[in-house]
Amino acid sequence: MISRVLVPMDGSDMSEQALTYALEAYPDAEITVLHVVGEPSPLWGKATGLALADDLEGTAQEHAQPTFDRARELVANADSDADVETVVKLGHPVRAILNRADDYETIVVGAHGGSVSDRLFVGNVADKIVRQSPVPVVVVR
Amino acid sequence: MVETLLLVGVVASVFVGFNIGGSSTGIAWGPAVGAGLLRKTTAAGLMTFFVFLGGWTVGQNVMETLSAGIIHIEISLAAGVAVLFFIGMGILVANVFGVPVPTSMTTVGAIAGLGLATDTLNFETIGWIVSWWVVTPIIGFWIGATIGRYVYPELNRRFEITSTEGPLLVFFPADSRLPIGFGPNTTTQEIAGTIVVFVIGCYMAFSAGASNVPNAVAPLVSSGALEPNTAIVVATLAIGLGGFTIARRTMESVGSELSDIPLLAALIVMITASTITTTLSWMGIPISLVMSSVMTIVGLGWGRATRPITAREAIRGSSDAEIAMGALTAEPDAPVTEIGAEESEAALDAGDLFNPRAVIKYVSMWIVGPSMSTLLAYGFFNVVFLVG
Repeated sequence: MISRVLVPMDGSDMSEQALTYALEAYPDAEITVLHVVGEPSPLWGKATGLALADDLEGTAQEHAQPTFDRARELVANADSDADVETVVKLGHPVRAILNRADDYETIVVGAHGGSVSDRLFVGNVADKIVRQSPVPVVVVR
Repeated sequence: MVETLLLVGVVASVFVGFNIGGSSTGIAWGPAVGAGLLRKTTAAGLMTFFVFLGGWTVGQNVMETLSAGIIHIEISLAAGVAVLFFIGMGILVANVFGVPVPTSMTTVGAIAGLGLATDTLNFETIGWIVSWWVVTPIIGFWIGATIGRYVYPELNRRFEITSTEGPLLVFFPADSRLPIGFGPNTTTQEIAGTIVVFVIGCYMAFSAGASNVPNAVAPLVSSGALEPNTAIVVATLAIGLGGFTIARRTMESVGSELSDIPLLAALIVMITASTITTTLSWMGIPISLVMSSVMTIVGLGWGRATRPITAREAIRGSSDAEIAMGALTAEPDAPVTEIGAEESEAALDAGDLFNPRAVIKYVSMWIVGPSMSTLLAYGFFNVVFLVG
């Protein structure tokens, strides 16, 4: 039985579907919702804004809050006994996800998230996770 | 025939200028508009004026380089129109995909492609320009990193740019005989902050004019189809048009990204980038505002992210950054979100924000952009001259 599941969420619909799927498929698992902030962007404003913040932890949490709120709603709506915790990380999403992958038995990701320019700067996260993850990956669409 | 060609050329110029106006107005005025210190229309008006000033003065040197320095012969009207199309194409790609393709680089690339195809490229000038393109981002990064690491925290303590409720200035206030007075909540600090933001915005608009006005018209100036002064006016009007129209959108998109950065940091970036751009334009080097801006931003963030380690340790690489970061930033009672279980996470490492590979990937777009433009222009002009 799968007991530890990582669900990276970027706030997109697709990532919400990933969480919903994870809650249904692994109702007894410990699910970690991971949100990455300060990712590369056209002017590097997100990353620099965080680097300059007086309280890095707090600011990162603040940026992640809307996504976590949404996740909490999904958990409340789902009829699930899953244990869900949230984690915020900094920088490149793929790197942040892969750095933690070893602690989990499965990663559940949405097929894709952002716009064309996000893809250019960050790449297709799901694609890279599938190719580089040391643990099995479920891609939800 | 010549008139039609010139008309097509001017239309292409206006298209290029219009887009330049959209993007550079966003960078120059995004932070001020975002902070609510200025209306978008006011920003566009100021932009137009200072772009003209920059183009008319310092911009002449860049115009000289683009129209007569890169290739030995003059750019014929027909070739100039084609070059403008390549510049426009670069801008289109940049807009559609949201990639910052520096216009100055596309311009030099397209003219260099023409030079290669006709065997008239001035390698000495192009080498000089390209070496400055290599050095400039490094300078921007270095300045940003130095300020971010050593100066920023102190500046941040001393200066606070605020915007209070209510208007900054009121006209014909009831309690005064003067026709103008401070708004109800306006503080001296607010006035000073607003003036600083305003002056720096004008400076950036000036440097945008100096570096960008020639991009829109130099290909037409070279053959004498347009007088330099007429050309500068045409470019200014086109840039102004962009400033008043599409810049409303770019001020929001660019502005929103710049507003992720504290206003003080944005101002530091603007001063640094404008100074670099103005200086290089004065030397006749075509350079893009966005290039020095981005590298200063990255430098500022990186310098600050690596701040807890002393410079000596950073060079030796002997300190454990994660522990140092945690000690400084982890607050015992930082808000921890919990849905089910408590979060038990190691402290965040700000160093993760500037992954070297991500930065290199980003910078490589600056190499790909102008190279593509050179290759495409080279191919195009080769075919044209073979046929013709």
